[in-house]
Amino acid sequence: MNTMKTQRKLWGALILLAGLHGLVLFAGFFAPYSSSAQDRELPFAPPTRIHFIDAQGTFHARPFVYGLKDDPKTFGSLAADSTQMYPLHFFVRGSSYKVACMFESNLHLFGVSGTGRIFLMGSDGYGRDQFTRFLYGGQISLAAGLIAAALSVLLGIIIGALAGFYGGWIDDVLMRGGELFLALPWLYLLFAVRAALPLHIAQWQVFLLLIAVIGLVGWARPARLIRGMVLSAKERNFVVAARTFGASDAYLLRRHVLPQTYGVILTQVALLVPQYVLAEVTLTFLGLGVGEPMPSWGSLLASLQQYYVLSSYWWMFLPALLLVPVFLAYYMAADALQERLKTVPL
Amino acid sequence: MRYLTRRLLHAMLLLATISIFSFALLQWAPGNFFDAMRLDPRVSAQTVDGLRAKYGMNRPLPVRYGQWAFSALKGDMGFSFSYNSPVAPLLWTRARNTLLLTSIATLLAWLLALPLGIGSAANRGKWGDRACGFGTSALLTVPDLLVFLVLLLLAVRTGWFPTGGMISTNFDSFSFWSKLKDVVIHFALPALGLAIVTLPVLVRHIRSAMVEALESPFIRAARGHGIPHIRLLFRYALPAASNPLISLLGFSVATMLSASVIVEVIMSWPGLGPLMVQAILSRDVDVVVGVVMLSSVFLVAGNLLADVLLFVSDPRIRVE
Amino acid sequence: MRFLILLAILCAFSSRSAVSAQTADRMVTGSPPGRAGGQIVIALRSDPKTLNPALAADVPSRDIIYCMNADLIHINRETQKTEAGLAKSWSVSRDGRTYTLRLRRGLRFSDGKPFTADDVIFTFRVYLDEKIHSEQRDLLIVGGKPIAVQKIDDHTVRFQLAQPYAAAERLFDGLPILPRHLLENAYNNGAFSKEWSISMPPDQFAGLGPFRLKEYVPGQRIVLERNPYYWKVDGKGNPLPYLSEIVFLFVPSEDAQVIRFQAGDTDILSSFSAQNFAVLAREESAKGYHLRDVGPGLEYNFLFFNLNNLAGKNLPQIAGKQTWFQDARFREAVSAATDREGIVRLVYGGRATPLWGQVTPGNKLWVDGKLPHPARSPEHARELLKSAGFSWKSDGTLIDSKANPVEFSILTSASNAERTKMATIIQDDLSQLGMNVHVVSLDFGAMVDRLLNSFDYEAAIMGLASGDTDPTAEMNVWVSSGGTHLWHLNETKPATPWETEMDRLMNEQLITLNYQKRKRLYDQVQEIVTQNLPVICLASPDILVGAKNRIGNFRPAILDPYALWNVEELYVH
Repeated sequence: MNTMKTQRKLWGALILLAGLHGLVLFAGFFAPYSSSAQDRELPFAPPTRIHFIDAQGTFHARPFVYGLKDDPKTFGSLAADSTQMYPLHFFVRGSSYKVACMFESNLHLFGVSGTGRIFLMGSDGYGRDQFTRFLYGGQISLAAGLIAAALSVLLGIIIGALAGFYGGWIDDVLMRGGELFLALPWLYLLFAVRAALPLHIAQWQVFLLLIAVIGLVGWARPARLIRGMVLSAKERNFVVAARTFGASDAYLLRRHVLPQTYGVILTQVALLVPQYVLAEVTLTFLGLGVGEPMPSWGSLLASLQQYYVLSSYWWMFLPALLLVPVFLAYYMAADALQERLKTVPL
Repeated sequence: MRYLTRRLLHAMLLLATISIFSFALLQWAPGNFFDAMRLDPRVSAQTVDGLRAKYGMNRPLPVRYGQWAFSALKGDMGFSFSYNSPVAPLLWTRARNTLLLTSIATLLAWLLALPLGIGSAANRGKWGDRACGFGTSALLTVPDLLVFLVLLLLAVRTGWFPTGGMISTNFDSFSFWSKLKDVVIHFALPALGLAIVTLPVLVRHIRSAMVEALESPFIRAARGHGIPHIRLLFRYALPAASNPLISLLGFSVATMLSASVIVEVIMSWPGLGPLMVQAILSRDVDVVVGVVMLSSVFLVAGNLLADVLLFVSDPRIRVE
Repeated sequence: MRFLILLAILCAFSSRSAVSAQTADRMVTGSPPGRAGGQIVIALRSDPKTLNPALAADVPSRDIIYCMNADLIHINRETQKTEAGLAKSWSVSRDGRTYTLRLRRGLRFSDGKPFTADDVIFTFRVYLDEKIHSEQRDLLIVGGKPIAVQKIDDHTVRFQLAQPYAAAERLFDGLPILPRHLLENAYNNGAFSKEWSISMPPDQFAGLGPFRLKEYVPGQRIVLERNPYYWKVDGKGNPLPYLSEIVFLFVPSEDAQVIRFQAGDTDILSSFSAQNFAVLAREESAKGYHLRDVGPGLEYNFLFFNLNNLAGKNLPQIAGKQTWFQDARFREAVSAATDREGIVRLVYGGRATPLWGQVTPGNKLWVDGKLPHPARSPEHARELLKSAGFSWKSDGTLIDSKANPVEFSILTSASNAERTKMATIIQDDLSQLGMNVHVVSLDFGAMVDRLLNSFDYEAAIMGLASGDTDPTAEMNVWVSSGGTHLWHLNETKPATPWETEMDRLMNEQLITLNYQKRKRLYDQVQEIVTQNLPVICLASPDILVGAKNRIGNFRPAILDPYALWNVEELYVH
């Protein structure tokens, strides 16, 4: 393979990921509002368009947005009102937020003055800014996805490797255990865990705990895949050869067998992160999600599942569309890493 | 043969364990079937207590499990509070419908995934591969429910497909050919939806297994010998990659089953899904355990099938 | 209305064709005549669980049972008053304790077997049997004693009550008369609860309702066909029902039901959200259906605080907060800060009514029109809090007299999007008072467990909708010993003076026979609720229904079953 090209792809993916995580981490700065600020006069406002030329055809060097009014054409929806103009400003002071849970600040990258509102991705049913909620939502969702995926894959590696490498009754017990884990109605465990926790614990902490539980009980699939890889890897000639040279089990596993499974592991991680982020959609339905008013990607998507949202407000799709490049970056990074590992001689 | 009996024995043991664990899990969860009744202002607490006692809810867990196990062995699979009847008759017709849907969807998904996965592995890094990678990733980022809803929206807007159900209401009056057509168009959307949501994982796994195989030394050697590309792909690389794919087939059954719950609720498919969701929310314990047991049987059967296939196809495992 | 019916009956007897067609005591309805024949399709949320009226507890079962059965005295869903059913007329003794019902003669069950007083006696024996555990039994216990039923002759039945009971006539609605010839053997063998399970063959069923069972396909549909022996005729003497078949499809989610209605698969849609109403309204003319906002129903949604006695419950956190919750000024402040108009607009898209008391404007006979409707006022809320000893820290956080920050959680059911939305709005409202409120939505089972068993909650949002307009249906909510006295369950004696007063008022209205007097008593109950706010009422959603234009006599009501209450009169153009 072309090493340079792989290298470039890897760096590209990593930079993209770093940028995305930076946006999410410093959501307070990039987002114009607080994530729970409601504007009850403006539910389901369409995305605000940024203008340079006003209704009279005059050009303005500073971009501006229009205010909103009830749409005369359709009852109950909002449209731009070209009689009210609000200029766009950069580095403005607004609602306060905390950076990395420590420093308090109220500086925002952009905002509009006065009573104007800028909703880059429209507003939701409470008149909250979707763009702000998307940025903030990533904080908990990415954390949840990464934690759960890491837990699943880690357990999966340990159990899958043991089962594949040793075979026999160990294999039998572990793999049947895996089937047991796949079949059990874990939902009830989540209900039970939720019930055991006191109500005054913050909802997002509860959610992180629940998603960790999901991660922990989700080891069976990665384990099965890794076992399959280990099973065939340990019969390869060079492994058999190393064994006859007297290599210990631990050495064989670490040096020869597991490296063969890295590809599968990385693919698994890249697949599992989005899966666990999306798992929240179902959890929300059952009252096990992050909970209002804290935004999360799962709850943003969950609101899209209602037929009236789906069929009436196209901008509610935007969070779903924006998730595509985010998760794509994960897959790209996994692909590139996988290819890079191939070029490293065993 | 000995291998098979051993596996079957394990499967029975596994099912028994699943039943114990799921029974226990259900007891841990807060709330029970009769609590919801107590919120009705017209029903007195005494009536609810009477019902609880009647259905043996006051007895300790092991006793209730014992009762359930006895009834399961009898073929009743426990007793549903809400339907006031044994669970087994509720399950059979619905299980048949679910199985029909999922097997057609599985077939469809593999028929689509195999050429896509193999094709993109063969053309790695090229335009087609990237498009395929992008497409599957994009699909992965969309929750299942949304896929089904968009398909449904399509059906409403175009009117080409029915928006739910398994057959039309006046099905009986149709001729044979219209019956066939009716069934096919009712299957189309849910099966397509299920295939779409399971497709990306399949394609990615097929692709990575194929890439793995294509890069192994023997294929490189074969390529060096000038074996034609297509022959190389299907005659040499695919068999080498089949090992993880067979495992994948085994538990794509499980993925299908869990995805089918949602599709059945959205598209009102008369399968296990709606029954299950209702039972979960109303805490109709025996129905939930019944559905769990049934899907475990499917799951175990899927894995068993995969293991047997592996056993047949991979001599290395057979030697063990 | 009753006058109209009387008139209609007179007319029917004067026209010869009707008289000759009737050997039986048929009832003549006043609705405009329709066309016989045709089929309509309606979606239900799930399979009916049972067709046994003594066991049914879920909405789909009750809807189907409603179509297949009839009761002695019926509540007209439109007028909200009682009217003759299987009992042609009835009389009440002067002490209000004896009801004598004269049954219609010559009626037949849907299997052709005759209906007599023996069926009524058998039916009440079943409902009153403790071993059956029917929900109806609770309704039939008056003054602590079951109602005594006595057969006078083949067409006269007497009911004896232990004490006068204001809503006695209304009791008979929702008590379908069962066929003795089909069920008595099973009942005597102790197998009654196995009877009329949904999977039994159709010929095992018989009722006095307009339709009878034709076919049931698990998970897919249930088909009812016209009952040829039905006992109502229209003004021209044509037999009812008009429809020859009703098909109920099982469509498990609201959105899916809306979609199928929009696609034209179903003819009638009820119980859907205001948002879906707006979606459907856009294509109203193009798709050939029309939607109807029937106005506020009986459902009232409310916020309440945990005022339960927590002794022996090991919940020190919540017990500590109860000192706030028990202060009426605190509750009033929460009520004053709540944006009810905002709830109506954002949660229900304007298709709801803000509420200050528990009786909705839809309940024409019982709503207290004089209740004050104070506008939202955060300032007033702040004053109230101040007078109750609360104060604010420099950052705006509300603290009590011991300097504890005011923080609590509101419990809602995750399956009810509307109530979660209300909680989110109230949370935002209260944050402006400096209260730190969490919204906790749990799955329904977990929530109910906390409300009824563990008491491990601080505040919750719930909705109740009794099946009837009469205050008697609400006894268990407002009497302190009641099972749905949610804010303080199972009180052995009333915890506050106003609860003592409510107990007195509720128990008195129960035995007061004069409507005006009863109305005054129940008005007082409503005033106590708005003053002391054991529950802070929020909003009552409108009943929304839709039907294809081809459906005739479509007259939805705010009482259950909203669109199907006059199912025998529906027809297809």
